[in-house]
Amino acid sequence: MKTFIATLLIITSLQAKDYVVDQKNKTFMPGEMHVKVGDTITFKNSDPFSHNAYTDDEDNEFDIGMQATGTEKTVKIKKAGEFHIECAIHPNMLIKVKVDE
Amino acid sequence: MKKFLLLSLLPLFLFAKDGKTIYAETCASCHGENGKAETGVKLVVKPRSLHKSILTKKQMFQIIKHGAHDFGARSDIMPSFKYVYNDKEIESVANYISNSFNSNIKKKLKNLLPTQNISVEKQKKMLSIGKNIFQKRCAKCHGIRGDGESEYVEMSKANSKFIYPYNLQKILLTQNQIFLFSKYGSKYWGANKNNMPAWLVKYNDYELKSVAKYIEEKIKN
Repeated sequence: MKTFIATLLIITSLQAKDYVVDQKNKTFMPGEMHVKVGDTITFKNSDPFSHNAYTDDEDNEFDIGMQATGTEKTVKIKKAGEFHIECAIHPNMLIKVKVDE
Repeated sequence: MKKFLLLSLLPLFLFAKDGKTIYAETCASCHGENGKAETGVKLVVKPRSLHKSILTKKQMFQIIKHGAHDFGARSDIMPSFKYVYNDKEIESVANYISNSFNSNIKKKLKNLLPTQNISVEKQKKMLSIGKNIFQKRCAKCHGIRGDGESEYVEMSKANSKFIYPYNLQKILLTQNQIFLFSKYGSKYWGANKNNMPAWLVKYNDYELKSVAKYIEEKIKN
């Protein structure tokens, strides 16, 4: 049984994908994403100033805090649904995210 | 005694330079002859276009006399001219700038302000709404106390081109001006870039008015 669960976990983790979002010219790229529960999103900052990606969505709430130029930060998608990711200091930055089970 | 005072003040009026002359010899090198700041001067914070300034004549007088730093600027290098020109001269240059480049500012501010009334019930909630938005958004750059000290500043100040956020405790703007500045962003009001973004894409007038109220009543000195 333990072996079965471990195998299942390994398969699940292997299936999870990491999506990279670049932040450049005060824009999230891409601006729309279609992901699955368990996937991760890695935020890169290619701008010469800081960003702060976050979402207020109750099911997937996160706030990565101030992110310096040239750094990466990763978040995990927890629940299915649709939500927006924004930057706390640049109000025009927006990603529409759709999450499947 | 009165005669003596009048005579001693006479040189000030006789030799005081008029606003147009002062503007041409001092201000135009940065703000341009036409006030549009199209001079190509190389500064981290480019001089503001005076045609779009949010400042009233009286506020311009204060900025010219004391410099932008006294009113919260930490990167702008608009200096103080209180040791260069007397009050009369500063007043005349403020008048010249205002009348030549920005004569309809009061009307413009009035026209941009929403006219709908906010119910008493809603007004009671404004400070808490303003505080919430301020702490979630404004404080990221301006700091939780609004003094311009934040994690964002700490992370960015090694960059020589970094533009420091304003110390909001010292700003000259009125509550209505804070509302309009945060709604439309700094570029709309004459800055070269939108370092202060236009928050109208994220918040409605009621929310931005709440933030302005919070800054006016709880942050400003």
